[in-house]
Amino acid sequence: MYTLGIDVGSSSSKAVILEDGKKIISHRVVQIGTGSTGPERVLKEVLAATDLTIDDMANIIATGYGRFNVKIAKGEISEITCHAKGALFECPGTTTLLDIGGQDVKAIKLNEQGLVMQFAMNDKCAAGTGRFLDVMSKVLEIPMSEMGEWYFKSKHPAKVSSTCTVFAESEVISLLSKNIPKEDIVAGVHQSIASKASALVRRVGVGPDLTMTGGGSRDPGVVDAISKELGIPVRVASHPQIIGALGAALLAYEKISKSQS
Amino acid sequence: MSQIDELINKFQEVANHPQKTVLDYKKKTGKGLVGIMPYYAPEEIVYAAGCLPVGLFGAQNPEISAARAYLPPFACSLMQADMELQLNGTYDCLDAVLFSVPCDTLRCMSQKWHGKAPVIVFTQPQNRKIEAAVTFLKAEYDHVRKELERILGVTITDMALQEAIRVYNENRQVMREFCDVAALYPQIFTPVKRHDVIKARWFMDKAEHTAWVRELIAAVQKEAVHPWTGKKVVLSGIMAEPDEFLDIFSEFGFAVVADDLAQESRQYRNDVPYGIDPLEQLATWWQDFDGCPLAMNVDKPRGQMLINMAKKAKADAVVICMMRFCDPEEFDYPIYKAEFEKAGLRYTVLDLDLESPSLEQIRTRLQAFSEIL
Amino acid sequence: MSEEKAVDIESMSAKDALGYFLPKIDEDARKAKKEGRLVCWSASVAPPEFCTAMDIAVVFPETHAAGIGARHGAPDMLEVAENKGYNQDICSYCRVNMGYMELLKQQALTGVTPEKLKNSPASEIPLPDLVITCNNICNTLLKWYENLANELHIPLITIDVPFNHEYPVTQHAKEYIVGEFKQAIKQLEEICGRPFNYDKFFKVQEQTQRSIAAWNKIATFLTYKPSPLNGFDLFNYMGLAVAGRSLDYSEITFNKFVKELEAKVAAKKYAFGDNEKTRVTWEGIAVWIALGHTFKELKGKGALMTGSAYPGMWDVSYEPGNLESMAEAYTRTYINCCLQRRGEVLEQVVRDGQCDGLIMHQNRSCKNMSLLNDEGGKRIQKNLNVPYVIFDGDQTDPRNFSEAQFDTRVEALCETMDEKKASEGGKQ
Repeated sequence: MYTLGIDVGSSSSKAVILEDGKKIISHRVVQIGTGSTGPERVLKEVLAATDLTIDDMANIIATGYGRFNVKIAKGEISEITCHAKGALFECPGTTTLLDIGGQDVKAIKLNEQGLVMQFAMNDKCAAGTGRFLDVMSKVLEIPMSEMGEWYFKSKHPAKVSSTCTVFAESEVISLLSKNIPKEDIVAGVHQSIASKASALVRRVGVGPDLTMTGGGSRDPGVVDAISKELGIPVRVASHPQIIGALGAALLAYEKISKSQS
Repeated sequence: MSQIDELINKFQEVANHPQKTVLDYKKKTGKGLVGIMPYYAPEEIVYAAGCLPVGLFGAQNPEISAARAYLPPFACSLMQADMELQLNGTYDCLDAVLFSVPCDTLRCMSQKWHGKAPVIVFTQPQNRKIEAAVTFLKAEYDHVRKELERILGVTITDMALQEAIRVYNENRQVMREFCDVAALYPQIFTPVKRHDVIKARWFMDKAEHTAWVRELIAAVQKEAVHPWTGKKVVLSGIMAEPDEFLDIFSEFGFAVVADDLAQESRQYRNDVPYGIDPLEQLATWWQDFDGCPLAMNVDKPRGQMLINMAKKAKADAVVICMMRFCDPEEFDYPIYKAEFEKAGLRYTVLDLDLESPSLEQIRTRLQAFSEIL
Repeated sequence: MSEEKAVDIESMSAKDALGYFLPKIDEDARKAKKEGRLVCWSASVAPPEFCTAMDIAVVFPETHAAGIGARHGAPDMLEVAENKGYNQDICSYCRVNMGYMELLKQQALTGVTPEKLKNSPASEIPLPDLVITCNNICNTLLKWYENLANELHIPLITIDVPFNHEYPVTQHAKEYIVGEFKQAIKQLEEICGRPFNYDKFFKVQEQTQRSIAAWNKIATFLTYKPSPLNGFDLFNYMGLAVAGRSLDYSEITFNKFVKELEAKVAAKKYAFGDNEKTRVTWEGIAVWIALGHTFKELKGKGALMTGSAYPGMWDVSYEPGNLESMAEAYTRTYINCCLQRRGEVLEQVVRDGQCDGLIMHQNRSCKNMSLLNDEGGKRIQKNLNVPYVIFDGDQTDPRNFSEAQFDTRVEALCETMDEKKASEGGKQ
């Protein structure tokens, strides 16, 4: 039996096809999100990699900001529940989860059965989100994918204290004009994100370890800074961006097998 | 349309078109309109002056533009909306405005009114439980009474004040009854409909509102009570708007079975005591009132009040509607949060912003909350 | 007392006396705690006279938080408070204090000093046995102290001074406050288990008046042009006006400072030497986390601060022995009054300081000192033809202040002032 999970986020669309709730047989990420052709494209691509069609899907669940606009979906479940499910599948034993997405940061606390006990999300402000990192990488003229490398070069991280993106931008510009080495500014940016994201984790309760998902966890600088800030080891899910879609596919499987039994 | 729908519809007409409602009222009765800024102004004095007290609780989805020149972004959206409505002339139909100053934002707002109507500012005492506070507030209310008499060219008699207190207490009692009844019929009273019945009080003669609510209660009570398959919650905070915010509750099967909102139940939680000195009676209401962060009380009874409220209403959880930049509300949070956790009461916090309500994030939070309850 | 005689206060400079007495207030509190006497935490413009009369040591969380901010210790305290659920939009003085209180509480409950407390540059103050608040500068102080008392399960003395929507202060407001004073006395008698010491109370009132007279005398030196006094010094000495005004600590220090300033005037020694180009009024709380930066930025442009209404809030002049007069003094604080009164006070400050410009702090932590800035600025511009500028900042949360933004605003103001001076000079 095949089930499909689709996660339509603010800046990307993700899809996963699962066989019998156990095996990922296809997954895709398209770097445009809700309100665009992203959801359609990711569906086409994820199916194209297999010899299946949409009719072969026993159940389809949508999640993410654009979840209510996915017409083919047979149900919608929040990102919180989906991420918890997906992360537990990829990293069994996870107790605390931190997802850094394009416009949201979520911290989720799970109990021993993997059920969501408590969650916290950032307020409206973009501090600590992927968007913040994006703006800073533009100001620093360093591609997102290289930010992590620069982070590890730093010996004396600069202090970027502003959490407001606009303030932080001018703070970073003034650091640049003072000829502070770029790697130290990058490390400062990473620490600023880590401090904001860690505050959310503390709100739900710091566990013995932490699993990170979302686009932000692809930056090793962010992961290291958060691990240091919280003083606990951090695991990164092997497919950090598709965790939500994976969780949706898993839940799609659970629902259908429950209704059949 | 069923009789119940028709009755609820009348409230919704009022709640959705406050401007039209009060202007029609003025035309029909020839009575004046007096604005009531949040929070807890003595409406009875206005009523006794023969005018209609009109609530100034912002607006649904206000477009804030002119107000930006007068308020920094860290004033709450309720005050941003009120400032915008002053500047765009919406409040020009008022004959006077009562303005209380229990928070720092209101203190400043009271000094920069941009509408045409004259403003009467008064201060509520915060050392509320001592006798000197009642004496002081009585003098402030006397100032309100004299100013209203001067501006409106009327005399406000003690007898008219006692009659106003009676009309208001009657409305308070019927509203408490309504909230209990609405909790039994969540299939009828969606969160928005419940809110609209309550909100209509702010734009109607309370005697008429009481009669409408009584009729509604009588009609509803003829219906059979059905069990609710979704979750039941208590709302707490300043207010729960815009309607799209409450619609999300319906979307995920939440019923509102009680509230602790400044715009709603906090208004009619207590009656004004009866006596022989109306201003003193009104001042005593403020002394007895509790559970709102704008009325100081070192015992901080709000957490326990909410725990009791949830228990009585058999609610699954409390949902905090946290008005952004409302520091009095923000101050209560760490205290009741710890009390909820100790009592094992589930809760979640939603950011409330009238101007840009972040509905998508709220949808995610509420859906996730419904999934974990 | 014998060990104190070893300190030669007589020959100290004002600056040394400030450096000696300010930490001594916290030291007195630690000593009191050790000896089993009571310690009270107090809002900055609440009346300390009552507690001092009952030998209760008084410390001031706002001054304490400002000190932590100036020593770059705020972020840790803010984090502790925010993790407890205090919203980032709440006043940063309060969050710093709530964070500090939380750490003290943890220490008291577990016997272990938390890491953040160990590493903090904060001056050490003991947990209070009671707290006293007064809302003459903001209503936030009501909520803050309500929470302190609740979290620590200790008594709260409230002196609620109702916002003066009319000025002068109404008779019924004064009577209400006197009623609260009497309630405070009753509470203190219960807390201390002995009758209120009215004789000492009268002496403390007299002491407070002598301290305040000396404080007010210092401010008069800002009217000299060029000025011997740098207004930023008032921000430093203000700590004693807050925390030491009911003791002789402040009177001794302030009188030394007055003498030094008199000597400077006589010797024609001025704050900026010959470089006093322009004079500005600073409206609002200092940016403690960047006090040095804000001062240097202005100094670099020859702009001397010769006016601020803020230090004037501690001008609580009244008639000792007269509770109604004392009530009036504590409620007439300019930011507890209607716009008309606020404007008059600000205008007087700009006038007295012969200022060429006005810098206003739009303070993320202080709604009461931000939401009427524009109205104040416009009044000054209209009545005195003095330009103003508003900058975004925060007293003790570094996340809400940007040096670069501040500099741009100050530059713009200085250019306007310089141009205006040049054109006026041309006319003469």
